[in-house]
Amino acid sequence: MTTRDLVLAALFAAIIVALGLLPPIMLGFIPVPITAQSMGVMLAGVILGARRGTVAVLLVLLLAAIGLPVLSGGRGGLAVFAAPTTGYLIGWVFAAFTTGLIAQRFVKPSQTSLIQTLGFFAAAVAGGVVVLYAFGITYLAFITGIGMSKAFLGSMAFIPGDLVKAVVAALAGRAVMAGYPLLPARA
Amino acid sequence: MNSLYVEGDSFFHRLPPRPKLVLLLLASLALFLTRSPLLLGLAAGAAALLYGSLGIGWRQSWIRLRPILLTIMIVALATLILNSVEDGVTVLLRLTTLMMVAAAVTATVPIGAFIDEVTHAAWPLERLGLVRAADIGLSVGLVIRFVPEVVSRYQQLRQAHQARGLKVRATTMIVPLIIQTLKSADEVAAAIDARGIRGQRQARNLEDSR
Amino acid sequence: MGQRVIIRFEQAGATFSDRVAVEPLTLTLSERRIGIIGLNGSGKTTFARMINGLVTPTNGRVTVNGFDTSSDGEGVRRQVGFIFQNPQNQIILPILREDIALGLKSRRLSAAAVDDAVDAILARFGIEHLAARRAHELSGGELQLAALASVLVTEPEVVILDEPTNQLDLRNRALVETTLRGLDENVLVISHDLDLIGDFDRTLLFHESCLVADGKPGDVIAEYRKIAAS
Repeated sequence: MTTRDLVLAALFAAIIVALGLLPPIMLGFIPVPITAQSMGVMLAGVILGARRGTVAVLLVLLLAAIGLPVLSGGRGGLAVFAAPTTGYLIGWVFAAFTTGLIAQRFVKPSQTSLIQTLGFFAAAVAGGVVVLYAFGITYLAFITGIGMSKAFLGSMAFIPGDLVKAVVAALAGRAVMAGYPLLPARA
Repeated sequence: MNSLYVEGDSFFHRLPPRPKLVLLLLASLALFLTRSPLLLGLAAGAAALLYGSLGIGWRQSWIRLRPILLTIMIVALATLILNSVEDGVTVLLRLTTLMMVAAAVTATVPIGAFIDEVTHAAWPLERLGLVRAADIGLSVGLVIRFVPEVVSRYQQLRQAHQARGLKVRATTMIVPLIIQTLKSADEVAAAIDARGIRGQRQARNLEDSR
Repeated sequence: MGQRVIIRFEQAGATFSDRVAVEPLTLTLSERRIGIIGLNGSGKTTFARMINGLVTPTNGRVTVNGFDTSSDGEGVRRQVGFIFQNPQNQIILPILREDIALGLKSRRLSAAAVDDAVDAILARFGIEHLAARRAHELSGGELQLAALASVLVTEPEVVILDEPTNQLDLRNRALVETTLRGLDENVLVISHDLDLIGDFDRTLLFHESCLVADGKPGDVIAEYRKIAAS
């Protein structure tokens, strides 16, 4: 990794941490509050690509693990990895990677902005929803022994919020690409 | 950003970080080997004694553990309703035990010692050429360094929105926030190279620095 | 310290993908205090970055005391310190003390030796009281001194400052000016602040990527005023 890549990943990790400091917002049609932090994971993939995006997310988790309250709601410390929702934290790493991989493979500067936005949306949903929930639900089912289908039903309430985040991440990713392109990842 | 480390002189404080991390790892495995409420109850009691010995105090402990305790409660309750009382109790005891041991480790290992431990653990990876162990401490420092800056940029952007009578929207906030922050990467990277912090490195042309 | 440092440009220039940033030039710099002036975008900063190898020449070569910036960047950077335009981006670790110690890390010194060196440099700039402060809480003048300390702790022979008084109030500007005058190291200062470099030994004027004047500050500044007015 070049120094610049390392710094980009670290700065993005700082952005993800800062997004966790924003108060959660309630959307009218969803019963649960949504936090901006998991959108940061999608954004990391969309803007930095697979490699640097994954490193950014790993850094946030490392900071949490060594005892800094960097996760939304001021959570941190090794205890966050002992919660029923730990699968989602582990899933972040793979979510950022998947999102980044799809984004850097399929979104090209030559495409129209609509195509780019749709490409980023697809990448954010594949990583930040499909892959993320696969990890989160599997872990929840394993740790509680309630089985996959019940764990899936219990997680359903959060999916609409995450789809909204994927829309925002796609729009923001597109705008950042226009203003300060970092994809395709430079050598 | 304040760390969750708490100064103190308890037995657990004086124990070096590595045995504590090994204990946590063993606990996380052992707790899943048994379903006996008695054994799990004993483990939870022992973990509570351990956490209590650190001298953190009830109020502070509640503030620290509340968010995680709450999710554990909800999930345990759901398991109890969906499956059985036994399953619910198992989940509750296992996870609260693990939470308390983990929180005890976090409260007694300062950031610097943690980074040393992580750097040490990364050596085998460095030998495989996957990471540079020294980069880990540097990156952690960089993140801690730049969080307050991102937050103050966020506040400035908010004020800029207000001053111009614009509605604060997710995209109009996030996009400039990200661009402004990432743009400083070139100079920060140049500073790291200029100061020779990562050791032997060939600097490259900085095309977009000017 | 205070010894003669010889910086040589031999037909050295820098071209970025689509434009020439510095036209090839040949010169030798060995004066204690050198000012670099010119309009925005005239090539000053690229020229300065070529001296410590942050930008390597696309033609010709640049050497510092015989070290080639292209082939021995590390050797060059050990001798040439660089203070960036925005010292905010230069402080890399959260706590000032940790940040200053960071530059010594690759030297493999003992912890005690690092501590002593950090204490000495903090005392030299009279900023012992800032050691435990967070970098983002420092004022503009304090940041500039902190950046200077973090660079000079590694004992470079030359230090390059890119607009050190930019955005400082009068008091902080005076502080930086006094500090600069007290430095034993050779200094190269890029500045729009003509008073700051008015009594330097030599001044270089850049215009449209070319070195257009080189001499005593008085004459070169007069030339600069003509260019700025035209």
